[in-house]
Amino acid sequence: MISNHDFKQINKYLYEIPKTFRADMRVPARFYADPELLKAIQGDRSLEQLVNTATLPGIVKYALAMPDIHQGYGFPIGGVVATQLPDGIISPGGVGYDINCGVRLLATQMEKEEVTPYLDDLASALYANCPSGVGKGGHIKLQPGELDVLVEKGANWALKRGYATESDLEHTEENGCLEGADSGKVSDRAKIRGKNQVGTLGAGNHFIEIDTVDRIYDEPAAQQMGIFPSQITVQIHCGSRGFGHQICSDYVKRFQKAIHQYGITLPDRELVCAPLSSPEGKDYLAAMKAAANYAFANRQVLTYLIRRSFEQVLAGKVKNHHLYQIYDIAHNMAKIEEHEVDGRRIKVCVHRKGATRAFGPGSPVLPGIYRDIGQPVLVPGSMGTASWVLVGTKESMTQTFGSICHGAGRVMSRSKAKKIVRGTKLREELEKKGIHVRAGSMPGLAEEAPMAYKDVDRVIQVVHGAGIAKKVARLIPLAVIKG
Amino acid sequence: MPTESLPKSLKTFHDIGFEEIEHTADCALHIFGNNLPELLTNAAIGMTSLIAFEPSSIPDDTERHVELEAMDAESLLVEWLSELAYWAETEMLIFHRFELYNVTPNHLQAVIHGGHASGLKKHIKAVTYHNLEVIETEKGLEVTVVFDI
Repeated sequence: MISNHDFKQINKYLYEIPKTFRADMRVPARFYADPELLKAIQGDRSLEQLVNTATLPGIVKYALAMPDIHQGYGFPIGGVVATQLPDGIISPGGVGYDINCGVRLLATQMEKEEVTPYLDDLASALYANCPSGVGKGGHIKLQPGELDVLVEKGANWALKRGYATESDLEHTEENGCLEGADSGKVSDRAKIRGKNQVGTLGAGNHFIEIDTVDRIYDEPAAQQMGIFPSQITVQIHCGSRGFGHQICSDYVKRFQKAIHQYGITLPDRELVCAPLSSPEGKDYLAAMKAAANYAFANRQVLTYLIRRSFEQVLAGKVKNHHLYQIYDIAHNMAKIEEHEVDGRRIKVCVHRKGATRAFGPGSPVLPGIYRDIGQPVLVPGSMGTASWVLVGTKESMTQTFGSICHGAGRVMSRSKAKKIVRGTKLREELEKKGIHVRAGSMPGLAEEAPMAYKDVDRVIQVVHGAGIAKKVARLIPLAVIKG
Repeated sequence: MPTESLPKSLKTFHDIGFEEIEHTADCALHIFGNNLPELLTNAAIGMTSLIAFEPSSIPDDTERHVELEAMDAESLLVEWLSELAYWAETEMLIFHRFELYNVTPNHLQAVIHGGHASGLKKHIKAVTYHNLEVIETEKGLEVTVVFDI
């Protein structure tokens, strides 16, 4: 257990575990928190997991954790690790099984009052049209060989199939396609798992949510994004489904053998890794990109199904029910980026495991309309609580390799949440608050109870206060669809 | 957690074959076995208890032959459970009876029996290597497996 005297406070929201804490650390470990979140962080083994990531070969500056950090497997969830090219490592466990799990925010020109009478119908339509739940396949039938095209083209595949607009792609991280994806590096099992799951939500903490804009914090940035008070928006949270899960499993297995070859010793086998320059490292990166593209295509097909649902319910009743995309971001990914380390710009592989890219203003990879305000960052809260839209800052580039948190972060295990909360009662409580709920499983709903998570507003205050992101808008939920 | 409706895990030095333990984000099983075949069998039964609503109501009309190679006992355990998770996700096939043969830390053969379920209680995305170590005690073997869910 890591106690208070094992770390020092750098400033109001930043703490550091020095490199001297453990002999195998290559860099210090830093984490963002306030006193309340610090207590929650010390309630599980996440700091020990953070220290473990500081031992990875090729790591530069610090092993980092965001204020939503909690115990994962290998990396903590909320962890950020950058390794230097060409020989620094890449770790499949540092990306996670749900490769390119991410969040998409869609917006409308409608305000809450116009939509309130139709919310229940909208929730039902979304639940009926967007396949969700354990083992549920999708409506999309792929032709032989089409999955290979999909995973190499990402959202471009969806555009060609009529599930996307050009504007959707422009408002997606990497335009919805990572270059260099190679379906030849993906196993048959991954393809079997992935072939029927395009356009599906899955289960667990994945969701579709109709929200309304509760408050604007940064008027110019909100205006630039097309966000205004009382506006109706929709969030999608999901990833690469069984396709990505299998790719991660395949490479974690393959890397178990490879580490001996490269003389790497690790404190936890789930941290298994290989040099980026090695055949194993290159193959994983190409396969991971395929999974990332699958996830972009998946969220894009869900976007199409959400648009159809809005059309079904609102056509002829409410004007301007069209949904346009604000942004789509990944929060489980490894990406080759250029960052400043020790006064010079170098290429690094940034692992974000439950952390979101948050590039500041001026970044050339951002779409033109966001280049002056910084990258939109989408941080969903727990079910029934607020979600946030932020922008990356110059500080995020210097402090965190352009990264911030990805959610509220769990504090309670799923089994404990189920013991304390009954799914049916939780649904009643949410409905009383005016939140329409559709869920495939009541125990699954109980696992995601708000009390199992940290206070998202507090988490956001930490990243805002630390200067690594800026609040733009707070959203509150009106309808939640879960598998 | 073992209940009346579960296929019976093999009784071990610990009285039970497995128990679910707390994990903040995912889920974990602490598994026991007098020897490696028993440990693997109890791990499989434990995982079935996580994913199936009513394991006792699943038909016994399907069998699969499994043969796995692995670099060590931990990898064998991950491969074995991943195999079962794969069938559950792709075909809703749940297994509740396991006959294991020729088990070494690097190899196993098995005939597994079960049937199709109409739904699954939990989706196991993957079986992780997190802090995975098959520990040999004076009484037998034990291991903790963390699942990504």
